[in-house]
Amino acid sequence: MKRFKPTLSHLSRRTFLQATAALGGASALGLRGAYAQEPEKPAEIIVRAWGGSWVDSLKAGVSDSFTKMTGIAVRHDLTEDNEIQPKVWAAVAQNRVPPIHINWDTTTNATKSALRGVTEDLSDLPNLANVTDLAKPAGLEGFPIVNTYGYVYVLAYRPAAFPDGPPKSWKDLLDPKFKGRLAFYNDGIGFHFPAQVAGGGKLEDIPGNMQPAWDFITKMKAQQPLLGEDPDFTTWFQNGEIDAACTISTNAREARKNGVKIEWVVPEEGAKFDTDGLWIPKGLPENELYWAKQYINHALTKEAQQVWLDGLGLPGVVPGLTPPKDLVGDPSYPTTEADFQRLIRISSKIQVENESEWFSKFKAIMQG
Amino acid sequence: MRAARTAYPLKWRIMDTLEGVAAAIWPARFRRATPYLMLLPAVLLVGLLVLGLIQIADASLRTLDTTTFQFSDNYSIANFRRALTEPLFLVVAQRSLIAALIVTTVTLVFAFPYAYLMVRTRSPGLRKFLLIALFLPFFIGQVVRAYGWLIILGNQGMVNEALGLVGVAPMRLIYNYPAVLFGLVQYMLPFAVLMLAPALTAIPEELEAAAGSLGASWVRTFIHVVLPLARPGFIGAGVVVLTLSLTDFAVPAILGGGSQDFIANAIYDQFFRTSDQGLGATLALMLVALGSILVGLVFALFGAGTLAMGRSRA
Repeated sequence: MKRFKPTLSHLSRRTFLQATAALGGASALGLRGAYAQEPEKPAEIIVRAWGGSWVDSLKAGVSDSFTKMTGIAVRHDLTEDNEIQPKVWAAVAQNRVPPIHINWDTTTNATKSALRGVTEDLSDLPNLANVTDLAKPAGLEGFPIVNTYGYVYVLAYRPAAFPDGPPKSWKDLLDPKFKGRLAFYNDGIGFHFPAQVAGGGKLEDIPGNMQPAWDFITKMKAQQPLLGEDPDFTTWFQNGEIDAACTISTNAREARKNGVKIEWVVPEEGAKFDTDGLWIPKGLPENELYWAKQYINHALTKEAQQVWLDGLGLPGVVPGLTPPKDLVGDPSYPTTEADFQRLIRISSKIQVENESEWFSKFKAIMQG
Repeated sequence: MRAARTAYPLKWRIMDTLEGVAAAIWPARFRRATPYLMLLPAVLLVGLLVLGLIQIADASLRTLDTTTFQFSDNYSIANFRRALTEPLFLVVAQRSLIAALIVTTVTLVFAFPYAYLMVRTRSPGLRKFLLIALFLPFFIGQVVRAYGWLIILGNQGMVNEALGLVGVAPMRLIYNYPAVLFGLVQYMLPFAVLMLAPALTAIPEELEAAAGSLGASWVRTFIHVVLPLARPGFIGAGVVVLTLSLTDFAVPAILGGGSQDFIANAIYDQFFRTSDQGLGATLALMLVALGSILVGLVFALFGAGTLAMGRSRA
């Protein structure tokens, strides 16, 4: 990596670098001098992101402050994560410069890219010294991805549709009155594992024997649920199309912010907990790679995480973050060991190796 | 000076120069090949498509290794075996095919009277109105139109609100198979009318008048004169609507509520959701094959209709 001496004209940038390096602890201090020798700045860096409140939160928490500190503009590319993946893979395979600098991705998707060998190693980020274990991608060497927060696929519901109190179990959704009034992700993501428990199976049997999950999903199919993506859930709740859904709490919270009366629970069978992360595709020019790494390093500061994840309502990977007021004690914002015990976490490796089969099985049931 | 200009004006000089350049590039002895030169753009276009298909065929024979997310170096027919044996793909293929046949039939039934009225009306105002109504949807993309139906037919949409005024509880009008068929028919109607109109224009009005003067009722004239002569238009419109419906992606995705996937949606899933481009390529090839067989059948049974550019089958 080409390095230059810092100049006095970059005072704000130096402040930024000092702050991030200081948060990195002793090891970060060792790299501080190296990071101060900056390669040429690109005019902009491109960060792939999800739209709506997702990108708004990223912009408010990470991108704007990064631009303020470095002078580098951040452009958010809202191409779907699934659609950018083959483009990045093709670019790397053909030795072309990839279309984005940073991919904000699900850990499962990102792991596929890491296994394919198209991700840069991020082990040298100073702020990794100050993150929790959640930031480390399980089952992978080094840091091809940095997980930046966790999230829960909760059971979100309209209180008016549950006059006897909140649903306690995923089985409550089998009540005939909810026929046509439920929603799941169109590949079943988030629901496979709770369905395994609700269907009488064990989590230890994943992936070997998931028949209980398929049996339970078959029962759920009789309820004729809607199947969609993140934005659909918010829209469906707002338009009164559904009474309950298995969705990421952020979507439910967004609907609530928009005035929809909506609550969520982690049912007794548990709810899937997963992570999202940031990664950099191979093939970037050296100076752009350097600044892309700085962006991710900045995303791991307490200040950036606090604003970003306040917007998303999700727990981050830096200790000492304050939960948003409306999520204190909320099951979708786990902070204690007891909170995590109610959640289901399956390793990325198992998910990556079996996801295609699970998606097909879920689709076969729901499309049948 | 002025006289010389008049005798050999600048425009002539330019034209002579251009002719000289053209002759240098394409000498007169190549003149017999000129018609083939006209084919070059089409050959290039088809050639690119064929190249793409060869690449897709190559990908379809490679399987995905989920431990490295790389494709196998060896060829195998595993993807084809999966595509032909997994219930999901059979269900989706069957749904797409049935939908394409239903949509084609219904669209032709609706498109014919529209096209007939548009061609035969004596009122220039009505003809203009029908033409504007026909072309207006082309300015609005398929996705926007499908979302429009969500707004109109949704639980809190205009239709349910109107029903609510007469005491009918909101009902689910979208996110089901009929909604997908409805959306497709609405999308395909302008295409069908556009394909039918030239065929109807080519039917001399005098033939209908002659049939009437020989005592045929309007219905008999319609059945024995208009419909047979409109056959090329039906075939052309039918082929276009059939293939577009069979391969549609957006309408099933938006109006189907995630549970009414067509083959194109299944292909998307393989390419972009499970990263299995090999299986996606296999499904794409099978869709091309299915569409080609259907079109081939139509051509074999009924000829190419208006798509034959006026040369009807003997």
